[in-house]
Amino acid sequence: MTELSFEAAQQELEQIVERLERGDAELDDAIRLWERGEELYRICTGKLDAAQGKIEELSRRAEEARATEAT
Amino acid sequence: MKVEAIEYGDRKVYSVATFNRGVGDWLARLPTVWVEGEVTELRRHERWQSVFFTLKDPTDGSCLGVTILRTRFDALRLDLTEGERVHVFGRPTLFEARGDFRLRALSIERFGLGDHLAALERLKRKLSDEGLFAAERKRPLPRFPRRIGLLTGNDAAAKRDVLATVTARFPPARIVVAETLVQGPFAANAIVEALGELSTSAGVDVIVLARGGGSFEDLLPFSDERLVRAVAECAVPVVSAVGHEQDTPLCDLAADARASTPTAAARLVVPDAAELRERLERSRAGLERGARRSLDRAARAVGQAHERLRRAPALSVERKRARLEHAAGRLRALSPRSTLERGYAIVRSGHGIVRSAQTVTPGEPLSVEVGDGRFEVRVDD
Repeated sequence: MTELSFEAAQQELEQIVERLERGDAELDDAIRLWERGEELYRICTGKLDAAQGKIEELSRRAEEARATEAT
Repeated sequence: MKVEAIEYGDRKVYSVATFNRGVGDWLARLPTVWVEGEVTELRRHERWQSVFFTLKDPTDGSCLGVTILRTRFDALRLDLTEGERVHVFGRPTLFEARGDFRLRALSIERFGLGDHLAALERLKRKLSDEGLFAAERKRPLPRFPRRIGLLTGNDAAAKRDVLATVTARFPPARIVVAETLVQGPFAANAIVEALGELSTSAGVDVIVLARGGGSFEDLLPFSDERLVRAVAECAVPVVSAVGHEQDTPLCDLAADARASTPTAAARLVVPDAAELRERLERSRAGLERGARRSLDRAARAVGQAHERLRRAPALSVERKRARLEHAAGRLRALSPRSTLERGYAIVRSGHGIVRSAQTVTPGEPLSVEVGDGRFEVRVDD
């Protein structure tokens, strides 16, 4: 299974939310959708956290470079 | 009248009276002519039959005695004063009693400024028609002359003024001085010659023709046709500073630039070094200010761009997270977990959610989901 992109995961999550909100899903489906939604939420959060970490890392490196330059 | 000599042996000797009479007869045969000169030593007395004066040549001081009948002189109503230039019409005469040679005048005409001015005006019109004074002929003066040719009389003032002003304004200036006659009948030629020499001497790229003020006649050489043409045709630009403000000798019109005084001419030919330096300093300051300003502007723009670049990814993550949290919130609100937490349970068999007691059989394994997890049971009965 290829890894889901953030955008695809988010889109799916929102579709699930919309479907649940309509209230026409069978209980089974609703639970399954909910479980899938939670999973998608985890995927998305994980990707965002990773992205944020990378940004902080790059920012730190840039600061270091600037500090070295200044000395 | 017959001139008779006394004979002493073989020597013929004339008495003074006879000799004078003989010379007088010869002189009397000369034609009547016009002679030009300046009136000096005018003597007129009521008891004299004649009026006497000396006609002087202004160029070399040669003198000629003139006599004219007092009644004739008075009739001319000339009211002559010393030094006035006149044309005298007459014939040479010898006063036999004194052996004095005189010009016996029949008429006298004043040859004054008016006639000179008229002659000058004619020359001016002629040269002007030739285009000698045209603005298109004027050449620009060099901004930084290599050498300045100064053509002046040996009268100190004009020379001193030019030299002092040039050196004060522009110390590195180099000046070649040519001294020449600047008045009298030979001045025009001398100036033309000096001008030619100066204009071809090495490095001279502008010439100042300077002469202090003087009488109308003193300045006449500077309106001489040859001189005026020489100025117009000079190989290098000529600045004319002749006479005072109100004098306009023709060489002023032919020159490439005209200055009212020698000092003004000096200002024309060299820039003011102090002013140049000051202007240069101002330009330099402006240059630096401008460079700094645009540098600052560029630095600010880069800084802003960098700041946005730095913030953009984080901002994008924040936005996505907010959107995600929004979706998650909605998901949670809809989830059955809260219902389960209140004590309800979902029972699942192998066929899915159990909705009816009829669908289960004793001994069948079921899965029960409650708020905090799930456990397995078996149907008893």
